[in-house]
Amino acid sequence: MLLGLALAVARPGQAGELKILVRDLHGKLVADAVVVATSSDPKIALRAKAPADAIDQVDKQFVPYVKPIFVGSLVRFPNSDHIRHQVYSFSAAKKFELPLYAGTAAPPVVFDKPGVVVLGCNIHDWMVGYIYVSETPFFAKTGAAGTATIGDLPPGEYTVRVWQPGMVQSEESTSRRVTLNADAPANVAWDLNLKPAPHVPRVSGAGAAGYP
Amino acid sequence: MNPGPSANKGSNRYRALHNRSVRLHPTFGAPAAAILLGAVPYAAQGDWTLGAEAALRHDDNVGDAQLHSDIVADSTIRARLAVFQLFPIDGNYSVTVGCGVAGESFFRLTGLNNATIECESALKKKWALGAFAAWSRAALSVGKSAYDDSYRNAWIYRATLAAGRRIDERWNLWADYAYERRAARAQMQEVPGVSGDAFSQGSHNVQVNVEYSLRDSVYLGLGVMGRRGDVVSTTASPSAGIFYASRALAEDPAFGPEDYAYRLLATTLGFRLGIHFSPTAHSLLGLTFTRLDTRATDGNGYDKSLPEITWDYDF
Repeated sequence: MLLGLALAVARPGQAGELKILVRDLHGKLVADAVVVATSSDPKIALRAKAPADAIDQVDKQFVPYVKPIFVGSLVRFPNSDHIRHQVYSFSAAKKFELPLYAGTAAPPVVFDKPGVVVLGCNIHDWMVGYIYVSETPFFAKTGAAGTATIGDLPPGEYTVRVWQPGMVQSEESTSRRVTLNADAPANVAWDLNLKPAPHVPRVSGAGAAGYP
Repeated sequence: MNPGPSANKGSNRYRALHNRSVRLHPTFGAPAAAILLGAVPYAAQGDWTLGAEAALRHDDNVGDAQLHSDIVADSTIRARLAVFQLFPIDGNYSVTVGCGVAGESFFRLTGLNNATIECESALKKKWALGAFAAWSRAALSVGKSAYDDSYRNAWIYRATLAAGRRIDERWNLWADYAYERRAARAQMQEVPGVSGDAFSQGSHNVQVNVEYSLRDSVYLGLGVMGRRGDVVSTTASPSAGIFYASRALAEDPAFGPEDYAYRLLATTLGFRLGIHFSPTAHSLLGLTFTRLDTRATDGNGYDKSLPEITWDYDF
């Protein structure tokens, strides 16, 4: 998807690459960090198209846990569990509710405002997922190795920043200016102050209040 | 003067503190196994939860005795399997139906070894959308306990009303009220005019609980509880107070050949402190301490402490 987005905006033979490494303050590699690159040329982003995307529900969890999308993207919420889920969000970037459904019955949702959207399920309170709605088409998410690559970027000046669900500092405080050339990749690294993202436990001592 | 009943008992009714193997009642084993095995194929297709639980508990006053000479401490191992299915009705209401089987084995007081089968149906309402919405729950359950010393066998009926609210990811509050009725078979009348139905009990139970997530996967819990209703206190040296306050009495050979169980009306206050650790998303290890203080009429009363290690797994 990211490649498709980038191909839509980059000119052949003039693409640059951004290599990203994200660690925490103890040097541990950080997964599920979203890195976005905003070009100093606003016309580049305007040429990008928002594709369709999906977040699945497997074993009463959102999969993937963190999903970066481009603003305006249409996201489906297929349910691979053999039970019904009721997906909702109270986030300012997108408030919505998908009444109880199974399979692929839920209509897609358009995310038309940049920001972080926290997903929940009204039946299974421990389910939590994050959609990062990016105002730029240039973004990537780190894997278990703490690395990601944003490829096929038009050369030029970029502001890059990172967000992760457990991040203590503000996203704005991670901003960096990067100059991207077509002949060599640029490397950017962050050491983030993280704490475990707060979540409702799937099992806890609260037998009476828990599930089922 | 000892106002209690005489110790005139047949020798085959004596059950002192001696070792015996656990014998779970066959009446309950078969249906329980059928329920669990029958549920397995469906567990992958529906909103089923198969829960397993194991616990090691120490009770410093198993017989709820008042006199130091009567107090018997013992430890138990408990295991429980339960299968529940959740039926969401709409966004606000859900029904849960499930059954569980449990077994408890005592190290010393083997006559108290028991197996229980219990089924419950509950209706839960969430008062708004989301994980932090207030909820309320009404549940009815019926169960049957079978003991090695079968005179304690009882049907257990329980009606529960609960309500709570998760304040945020860290704080969780809930309270519940339960009326519980244990219906046991009346034993032989030992004293004219005093019922032998010592093991049937009715009680009103209230609990208020708060749980705090100390850090990721570590939870602290505090529960405050009150109970008003029948209690069974076992003693070999009954005082005039317990004799005259008792509503029923019967032999209780699980504790010894001279022991009698006295059913009293009493009020219990207590608290439970616990710390739980969730090593995986599906499992929970717990260490809890429960303290109960019971007061009945005519100066009767006892207290007990119950430290416990628990392990829960939800499939």
